[in-house]
Amino acid sequence: MSAFRRAAVIAGYEWRRALAKKKVLALVILAVLFETMPFILLTQVAPAFMTEEVKVTMWVFGALSGQSMFIQLVAMIIAGGSMAEEYEQGTADIMLSKPIKKVEYMAGKFLGGFLLLVFIEAIMVVLGIIFAFAFFGPQRDLMFVPIIYLAIAYSTLVFFSLSFMLGEVFRRSTVSIMTAFGILIVSSIASSFLSFLYMQSSNQFYLDASRWLPTWSATSFPSLLVSDLIKWQQNPFLMVTGPGNPIQFRTSGDVLLAAIMIGVYAVVFILMAAIRVAKSDVTKKVA
Amino acid sequence: MSSVINVSNLSKFYGDFKALDSVSFTVDKGWVYGYLGPNGAGKTTTIRTLLGLLRPDEGEVQIAGVNPHKDPVRALRIVGYAPELPNLQPFFSAEQMLDFMGKMFGLSSQARRERVTQLLELVGLKEQGKKKIGKYSKGMVQRFSVALALVNDPLVLIMDEPTIGMDPEATVHFRDLFLELSKKGKTVFISSHLLDEVQRICTHVGMINRGRIVLSGPLGQVLEAFTQQWVIEAELKEATPEIVSALRSLEYVKDVKVEGNKLRIELKEKKDFRGEISSEIFKHEGVLLGLNLHKITLEDAYLQALRGDQQE
Repeated sequence: MSAFRRAAVIAGYEWRRALAKKKVLALVILAVLFETMPFILLTQVAPAFMTEEVKVTMWVFGALSGQSMFIQLVAMIIAGGSMAEEYEQGTADIMLSKPIKKVEYMAGKFLGGFLLLVFIEAIMVVLGIIFAFAFFGPQRDLMFVPIIYLAIAYSTLVFFSLSFMLGEVFRRSTVSIMTAFGILIVSSIASSFLSFLYMQSSNQFYLDASRWLPTWSATSFPSLLVSDLIKWQQNPFLMVTGPGNPIQFRTSGDVLLAAIMIGVYAVVFILMAAIRVAKSDVTKKVA
Repeated sequence: MSSVINVSNLSKFYGDFKALDSVSFTVDKGWVYGYLGPNGAGKTTTIRTLLGLLRPDEGEVQIAGVNPHKDPVRALRIVGYAPELPNLQPFFSAEQMLDFMGKMFGLSSQARRERVTQLLELVGLKEQGKKKIGKYSKGMVQRFSVALALVNDPLVLIMDEPTIGMDPEATVHFRDLFLELSKKGKTVFISSHLLDEVQRICTHVGMINRGRIVLSGPLGQVLEAFTQQWVIEAELKEATPEIVSALRSLEYVKDVKVEGNKLRIELKEKKDFRGEISSEIFKHEGVLLGLNLHKITLEDAYLQALRGDQQE
């Protein structure tokens, strides 16, 4: 049996585990609620900025509304428990006493968890489009849906990998999810503060520093791509591309920079997790 | 004879605590090896290191000549492992879990289907195959754990306290199963503190205490090594001073200890003198109620070995 097949068996197992624990069901319900509520609210309140031009692009709002917090949180919940729960429940012993390399096992867990996240993201994007049609009528520029969906999936790799790595390091699911969430919050605040300093001083360093933090690339990448693909700025929901990063701060090459930052963060976190898995003992049941 | 399990100079630290101290032993094909020791002696640490779950600080382990830490895929594909009180995925039914484990060993779907039926029957869980493992009793989990260990038809079976939590009937069933597997050329490595059980089924034993191997070898040799003298225990209706004195005067008797009407006759030679002893008692008009030759048990040897180690 090839290494890929062994990892695929574990990825399948990860899905079954998530389904059995009703994690998928809970997250799907949350995703539906998260998508529904803002649309209902907007139709009820009907703010002045909801012009016809904005209404025909509301699918973008539906697709990206969870980007700054909700989808990151979902990523952290799925990834934080992936490795850690096996140690907590003592099931890692059974899995790793079988003919599989620890790194293959980790790769399977990562792949299974990430595919689960991508599935939930797909539900959110599809719901966003359906609700946009249902509440605001026909939508335009829908040919960009696949690439924006891929951008969303790619951008969640930062906090997914971070939480996954922390799960392997701490081997406690709650601690790893809380730590990753703390990093998201602190990084958001720091990014906003650095942007504020940039506004006050026009010192480019502050803006650059804000973009090196994990939050900027993770939360801004799809929005930056949208604003490159769809040449209109009337939709107020696209005016902010991340914590403290108004669209007017955009510089050329931001999309590429965000894509590189996501890749770098993900690779570093995955490598750290792989080193930890390969070089440490399999701990017995810890919870 | 080829060595299937090879542990050489294995040491493992947990912080400052030395859990294993230069442990070395080998287990050959077809042996039923009993790995004995008190709680915390290092039995489970040895097993977990053998399976690649713990990294050795010093030394090396090999299964069929392959280091499981370097090539777990090749080393562990011939191994079946049943942990002590296993933590299994509670959301799987027994059938699903066996099928999944079969997949991990790369078995075809046809082979998995056949194996699931065979194994559930073998461990007496055929009727509960569709039940979630989370709803199994402790004894059922232990039995199922043996089925899991056999899913790949392993050449080496590693069992950590395999009969713990099982009822007496199941214990006998599994004891017979392990013997049958060994007759088929499988190597069985059993960690246990149930000395009577080990004595019944093991061909070889190793004893570990405080992380060190205190003795290892074929069961018969180990028992012989700890047999300092043979003892005959006699129970009489009345142990008179004449009888005791007559027995003490026999050339092959070292000493006679009296406890009420029971005599403990220590022999000078490792030979069965029950016939001669009973004749002597009858000659002095004694009424014999019972006469036993007391050989050393594994438990006696184990305790002697532990005492010897603690005195060092």
